[in-house]
Amino acid sequence: MSELIGLAFAAFVVENIVLTQFLGICPFLGVSKKRSSALGMGIAVVFVIVLSSTITWLLYHFILDVLAITYMRTIVFILVIAALVQMVEIFLKKVSPALYKALGIYLPLITTNCAVLGVAIININEGHDFAQMLVYSTFISLGFLFVMYIFAMIREKLDFSPVPKAFKGTPIALIVAAILAMIFARFGGII
Amino acid sequence: MIDILVPALVLSGIGFVLGLLIFVVEKYFHVEEDPHIDEVIELLPRYNCGACGHPGCREMAIALLDKKSKAAECKPIKKEALLILDEYLDNYFKNKQ
Repeated sequence: MSELIGLAFAAFVVENIVLTQFLGICPFLGVSKKRSSALGMGIAVVFVIVLSSTITWLLYHFILDVLAITYMRTIVFILVIAALVQMVEIFLKKVSPALYKALGIYLPLITTNCAVLGVAIININEGHDFAQMLVYSTFISLGFLFVMYIFAMIREKLDFSPVPKAFKGTPIALIVAAILAMIFARFGGII
Repeated sequence: MIDILVPALVLSGIGFVLGLLIFVVEKYFHVEEDPHIDEVIELLPRYNCGACGHPGCREMAIALLDKKSKAAECKPIKKEALLILDEYLDNYFKNKQ
């Protein structure tokens, strides 16, 4: 149990998917202008990462590994993620039109979020068992949500700050991302 | 031979199952939409270029029917097609009133 808690903490801060592993940078910079859209995107990514990691883990261990064709994993994982996002989209459209509208174009864009494929492949490379896989993908995606949200908060504040003209907009956002990454790099000393 | 056949069969099998699942989900969670949207999309160029400011032709069609955008905002549309689209929208708004 304590091993799982350690794994959860490591996934949440130490190995943070955005600031330490540099995956999923596109939505991190693109959808972080407003807190509400950052939150919506983060929740959608949590949902897709946990679901796709579970399905790809099962597929890898019960089909690809058994037939000794593990080199097929990348193409199979991409296929699963694309189909899954499509289904989530249809499902959301029916169940929650408000959330569907709020996420808009970012929902189909999750297909190309490299964090989703990244987590699926890390789970295989690290040899996680089923429980470890569930904990790892849940907390790494929650880490994504957490970082997205604080970054969006900082960017909302930045809009009203006296930033030098040359740094306005994306340049200052990149500098903030770099400082955040340095802060998160220090967590590496804890474990 | 078997080295090629097994991966091909596995991949097409997974693709088939996923396609079937999408079909079932689509049938089960089908949302009734205004049939006019599809008719307007037919009249648009369907490039999904985004030059009008909407993420795609579907969103543009919805905005056109809500009177939130004008047909001329579509950049790549041909002149003849624009006339047909304008006529269609005029008729649509007349019938609506």
